[in-house]
Amino acid sequence: MTRLAKLAMLAFFAGVLVAAGAEETGHLTADQLAKAARSDLITIPTPGELFAALGKTGKTNWSGQYRGPIPVTYRNRAQIALNLGGLIADGFIAVEAKDGQQVKNIGSDIIKLAKALGVSEKLLGRGNSINEFADNDEWDTLQEELEATQNEVKSSMQSHADQDLVILVTLGGWIRGTQVVTSAIIQRYDERSAKVLRQPALVHFMQSKINEISPELRGEPLVKDVNEQLGEIEKLVSLPQSKAPTVEDVRKINESVGKVMTEIQSKELPK
Amino acid sequence: MKRWLPIFVSLFILETSTSVRAQTDAEVQARKDALEVAGAFSNDGFKIRDGHWCGVLKPHDHSLVVVNLYAGNQYWFSGGATEPVKKIAVSVYDESGKKVSTETYNDGEKAAAGFSPPNSGQYFVSVDLLEGEEGSFCLVCSYK
Repeated sequence: MTRLAKLAMLAFFAGVLVAAGAEETGHLTADQLAKAARSDLITIPTPGELFAALGKTGKTNWSGQYRGPIPVTYRNRAQIALNLGGLIADGFIAVEAKDGQQVKNIGSDIIKLAKALGVSEKLLGRGNSINEFADNDEWDTLQEELEATQNEVKSSMQSHADQDLVILVTLGGWIRGTQVVTSAIIQRYDERSAKVLRQPALVHFMQSKINEISPELRGEPLVKDVNEQLGEIEKLVSLPQSKAPTVEDVRKINESVGKVMTEIQSKELPK
Repeated sequence: MKRWLPIFVSLFILETSTSVRAQTDAEVQARKDALEVAGAFSNDGFKIRDGHWCGVLKPHDHSLVVVNLYAGNQYWFSGGATEPVKKIAVSVYDESGKKVSTETYNDGEKAAAGFSPPNSGQYFVSVDLLEGEEGSFCLVCSYK
């Protein structure tokens, strides 16, 4: 018993020393890194965060990144979720462009798509707030409101047992955001702005989340196609830390995400 | 008034949102504390991200979460914890697990780390229990 107690004491102090050792050396172990938590809400940055980083490197022609209106009458729920994410990213673009009317138009489309998914009625209130903030040029507040809208859509999906669609909203936003950022970088290339595209772990995380959704949804032609193309995109954004992507690298990423975006917003679903 | 709006909005979402795992009262309080710390950085133009990470802090353990950050942005990670936690620290590690140099704020059960990533990519944020016993914590992120 005494021997066991000694062993237990030794194990306890060894545990303390290991933890203290990591602290002193300022280095986490591979095991600690592997066990780190990953959460949709904090691990995945918002489109607004990506646009803020791009905005640091010079003036961006945000209104030049608008796309034409997309249909808001999709029937496929996965497609609605992906487009909802894309529209929220469009909202962030309009905020960066400080274009009140565009924000209101996009806000209205977001509500229409969200209603098609049967998410919370509370979102109607968000639509009113978006209009009010746009009328008053409250751009910072609008950005927060868009982010809150996105999270409310996701919360509502979770409470309606639609949690599998949540990652598709996030993914749609990331794809549209990356399309816009790559397009802006191609128009005015510099190494510093191109460095924002290095996000292999982020794409890997989103792909792992898609692989966790129900086999039925994962097997839908659109989701299957997007997931496959995401694997290719992951390779393109797996850039070395020391080297900024060239304009040609950026063009390849832009073409890949553009292809996925076209498929997502098309009324014709892949077969 | 405007500077408090993000905090009010975040607190509103906190009250109304439904999460997969219901938050405990202690986590709700910890989140309020974390938002209070983050609110101070709003005065310098930092936007509070409408997301959070809550959990339980244990002695001699790192509570680690993965974040993906963009070079060019500045970030603050603000943490709050509740009794019996007495003192916490927030640290940031790069993708290889090496601790990075940060600005720090420490006030007992509230702490924050400020950081401008030199490279875009994956980082790890750690919340550590320095004094006290096992208890709930919450972490929020702000950026500009």
